[in-house]
Amino acid sequence: MNTHIKIIGVQGIFLVLVIIALFIFYPRANVDVNGNFVRFNSINANVIVISENPDFSNPRYLSLNETKNVSLNLKSGTYYWKGDNGIIEGVKKEFVIQSEVAMEINKTENESDLVNVGNVKISVKKNQNGIMVGRIILDTQESEKIENVNETYVGGQND
Amino acid sequence: MIDLNIVKKNISNVASCNRENGEISNSGNNKFVLVSMFLILIILIILPNVLSLGITPGRTTINYEPGLEKEVEFSVLNNEHKNMQVMLTVQGEMNGSVELYNGMVEFTASEESKSFKYKFKVPSGIEKIPGLHTAEIVALEVPKANEKGTYVGATVAVISQLHLQVPYPGKYVEADLNVLDAENNGTATFIVPAINKGKVGIGEVRALIDVYSKLNEKVGSVETDYVPLEAGARTELTGKWNVSVASGDYIAKVTIFYDGESNKFEKQFAVGTQALSIESILVNNFRLGEIAKLQILVENKWNQELISVYSNLIVYNNEDQVMADVRSATEKVGALSKKELISYWDTVGVNEGEYSGKLMVKYGEKSSDKNLVLKVSEDSLNIVGVGYAIRPQGGKGTSLTTILLVLVILLLIVNLAWFVFYKRLTLRKGK
Repeated sequence: MNTHIKIIGVQGIFLVLVIIALFIFYPRANVDVNGNFVRFNSINANVIVISENPDFSNPRYLSLNETKNVSLNLKSGTYYWKGDNGIIEGVKKEFVIQSEVAMEINKTENESDLVNVGNVKISVKKNQNGIMVGRIILDTQESEKIENVNETYVGGQND
Repeated sequence: MIDLNIVKKNISNVASCNRENGEISNSGNNKFVLVSMFLILIILIILPNVLSLGITPGRTTINYEPGLEKEVEFSVLNNEHKNMQVMLTVQGEMNGSVELYNGMVEFTASEESKSFKYKFKVPSGIEKIPGLHTAEIVALEVPKANEKGTYVGATVAVISQLHLQVPYPGKYVEADLNVLDAENNGTATFIVPAINKGKVGIGEVRALIDVYSKLNEKVGSVETDYVPLEAGARTELTGKWNVSVASGDYIAKVTIFYDGESNKFEKQFAVGTQALSIESILVNNFRLGEIAKLQILVENKWNQELISVYSNLIVYNNEDQVMADVRSATEKVGALSKKELISYWDTVGVNEGEYSGKLMVKYGEKSSDKNLVLKVSEDSLNIVGVGYAIRPQGGKGTSLTTILLVLVILLLIVNLAWFVFYKRLTLRKGK
């Protein structure tokens, strides 16, 4: 009976040691998302693996060997990421960059510009008296000269 | 389509309010108010008039579930920080399934954004029509009337789309193609994002990409990797192609194979469009608090001269706000040659530390970008490039699942060994 207890005890100690080792060597990093701007801060991870797919197909690898943080601009969507330090690969986490549809009409005395000030490509319908009379595709920060008469520009995310 | 009659009716109400407000303000004789109004009028004349509106998210995608009822949140953005009235409406195929809680909303100048909700109920019988179903939440800025009560000029409306994906019976894959780094004598990467929009999981999905010239001559063929794909899941298949063709436009004919079925589509792409590359950034004799001279070496890989080339360095502070936006003068870069672009960064008020940055070299409507980290100290500025794919591979660590699996197997073996040993010991003692 004593031998059984000893074996269970040894296994228990072994498990505790493994858990402590996992805690020490686990690659810790966090992410701050501010609009389209993403910043990864590393505690002991030296690579961040990031992908648009939950299975991490076609991933990007961000090196954190030379610096403790890395910032990048990403287009809108859901992203999956995990830290890695060459010993342990962290668990999968995710963050979302929300798409923002935004338009601006800059009116000057002589002309008007319609500008896409959001973070996605937009398709803009030009309506006059409730009837669609034209369509414009605008990439982010792209602008188009428009007539400044009684029309409505209706913009939505373009595929 | 937005119902303009409703808009006009609401606009009339706003106009009458505006007229009343106008009468009240005209009744005052305070000189200070008059001077202020005169100044504001001059500013309004000098400055361009801006009409701006935003909405987020631009799209919400929901996967079909029978009887699903869900509240969806969205925000209307008052980018210009102004007083405005916004009308919210619903349009599109599923407009009857969306219930908006607000119709007309007011923004004050201090409100940057406001959050709203709508209730969505899956329409009955829609499960019989697989594919995409949509509704649109429209936010329209109600135009302000002039003194005559009329409305002149354009208005803007922005849409938050609601997409409902109803799965197809069986297996169904939708795919697209993105081509990266298609440069002469380089290796192009073909990425095929694939989504299983069927109800059944797929054992193996792969793609075959045949590359054709504009004269319909086959110039290359690429096979991607293959992966399983669960129902509703997304993956990206990748394949490499050694580019040994001249610059120009090519057609990729893509065939997606999945468990004995296939889909085909075509997409045009260009080889050799990356004309300009950033070679290096040099900073000599740096002193914090002085004006730093940045020498950015670029190479024109195109066989034509590039005009209007300039660099734009953006440096972000620790709150991710832009703390410097530095542009070089516009230069011409000769065909297949290198040129140094000079920028000056005034570092007055900059503290020692690490800052994120982005260097863009713009030419025509194109741009070569590089993400950077700027390590600033009293007498040095080190710029470290941190692009996307710093390492061709990474993530060499062992996953937690593997570690725990090994641990369980190890403990199982130890216990089994002990069990066998103990049994034999008992048997021997019995004999």
